[in-house]
Amino acid sequence: MAALGRLASRLAQTAAVVLVVSFVTYWMLSLLPSDPCFLSVGTGATEELLAECRQRLELDRGLLAQYGAWLANMLTGDLGESYRNGITVTESLGQKLPVTGWLVLYTTVLSAAVSLPLGLWSAVRRDTWVDRLISGGAFSLLALPSFILGVVLALVFAAKLRWFDLGGYVGPTEDLLGHWKSLLLPVVTLTAGIMPFFLRLLRSDVIATLQEDYVEAARAKGLPRRWILARHVLRPSSFTVVTVAGLNAAQLVNGALVVEIIYDLDGMGTYLISAVFNQDFLVVQTLVALIAAAFVATNMLVDAAYPLLDPRVREPKR
Amino acid sequence: MSGPRLPGGRSLAVLRGRATPAGDGSGRRRLARQPVGFWLAVLWLGALSFFVLLAPVLGFLADPEAYSRDVQQGVGWSHWFGTDELGRDMFARVVWGGRLSLMIAAISVAAGILIGGSMGLLAGFFGGWADTLLSAVINVLLSLPALILALFIVTVLAQNTRNVTIAVTILAARAVARIVRAQTLRFRQREFVTAARCMGARTSRLIFREVLPNLVPVVVAFAFLALGLVIVGEGSLSFIGKSVPAPAITWGGILALAKGKLAAAPHLTIYPAVVMFCTLLAVNYIGDVLMRRFDVRQSLL
Repeated sequence: MAALGRLASRLAQTAAVVLVVSFVTYWMLSLLPSDPCFLSVGTGATEELLAECRQRLELDRGLLAQYGAWLANMLTGDLGESYRNGITVTESLGQKLPVTGWLVLYTTVLSAAVSLPLGLWSAVRRDTWVDRLISGGAFSLLALPSFILGVVLALVFAAKLRWFDLGGYVGPTEDLLGHWKSLLLPVVTLTAGIMPFFLRLLRSDVIATLQEDYVEAARAKGLPRRWILARHVLRPSSFTVVTVAGLNAAQLVNGALVVEIIYDLDGMGTYLISAVFNQDFLVVQTLVALIAAAFVATNMLVDAAYPLLDPRVREPKR
Repeated sequence: MSGPRLPGGRSLAVLRGRATPAGDGSGRRRLARQPVGFWLAVLWLGALSFFVLLAPVLGFLADPEAYSRDVQQGVGWSHWFGTDELGRDMFARVVWGGRLSLMIAAISVAAGILIGGSMGLLAGFFGGWADTLLSAVINVLLSLPALILALFIVTVLAQNTRNVTIAVTILAARAVARIVRAQTLRFRQREFVTAARCMGARTSRLIFREVLPNLVPVVVAFAFLALGLVIVGEGSLSFIGKSVPAPAITWGGILALAKGKLAAAPHLTIYPAVVMFCTLLAVNYIGDVLMRRFDVRQSLL
């Protein structure tokens, strides 16, 4: 019951944060000297057309009323439409969300696949040249912003070697191989930014776990080393990785924004940035609110999942 | 050392958690025991500061916008990093780009520590409704990915150098606030604070004399990591075209301009990228070494 109560209070906190963020962004964007009706009506704007548009968009109402209407629409699943071209946000999301979705999914899988063995290996071989090489490599990658690495990879593999072309995204149903090819460089770029966090954390976590008494006991019983690593060491350490994976969602979104620009992928990042440049502020507002909600919800889920995964922290001792 | 002493002649400072453990040697010897990489990093930052600070005085660097007849040249004696398509010396541009990038970074980290540090300290020290309120603000600020938050702030405030600095200051402040709050919570419980409180110390004394000095090492160490954070933040912002407006130039801006000419003139990308990479590596490394020295758990980051 206590756990349920905690979950409920976390849920309320999360909802409150998203509500505040969405209101503050709404308010700040409303302060900008930009008239959506000019965008909507276009160059042939007459006074009547503008007035009609303002009425339609209910711009003459107060800020709170406008925000309330926007929020009510959001909650009923109506994400609104672009002032600029009238395309609904829902429709655009249908096109752009899969691009970013695949990008993020592949990146997470690849990061885990690379960092798990390497992190384990460098922890077990702590302070040997293997460890120094792996840790040093991870540390260098941390200092390599994705807009540098992405540009360099594009230079080498697309411009010079011509193994890939920067022709944009290919859907998995059209051409699976082409889909992978179109996302390989972006995924590698993003992974290089995310993976070091996993690896370093896993390494320090495993080093700590290896010094636990129960690992010593397992070793004394003569259990095979692989078994100890898999069952006694990796299992507790994996919880840390889950937590960091959640926290790294932000890092992933940052990276995705830049990577989509470099590789010309028509995903969420490109969508948001073009909306910003087009002063399409309703789209900006909706996207920022959605991203904040997704991001805060991820963190909450990770927090909530932690005690479920790790029995040791399930009931806090008082 | 003055002040009350414990049995065995050890200063009370030991209890405060500030003094060095016995046998750790003098401050100078501890510094000298840093790994070679640490000194390389310091050396790099020193050389960088030399060029960046003296750029207006050093004749050959004085004007990053000066055109010459050597258009889009490779590396050579007269142009260390080559020239761009307008014949501008890339070394001068990298130095001046660094001047602005690093100035924005330094100001925003200092301001971020002041703002975020106060928020975290007050939230952690007082707890209760102060903590609830300040934590809510911190959580709201943390609820957006860094680049999106910065992009949003610059969009709302208008795109100029001051507002870019404000945007990245908020990035630094929210990170500092979280870490300082956690550290304050840690120290608030310690015996020396309780002891001071029992002796009737005022709240201001508890904060400034007991808790704050213990936060300094962590904040100094984190300042280096925060420098990296805001350099990347500003760089990404430049890269998507939402940082300082031309003709002002930062590292990110140089790289964004070079993006289209990648195949024809790779030197326009490579040298600025290497300089930026080395700088980030240096601040990250110094921050990391100091963080580990002060035993800050990584999960706090």
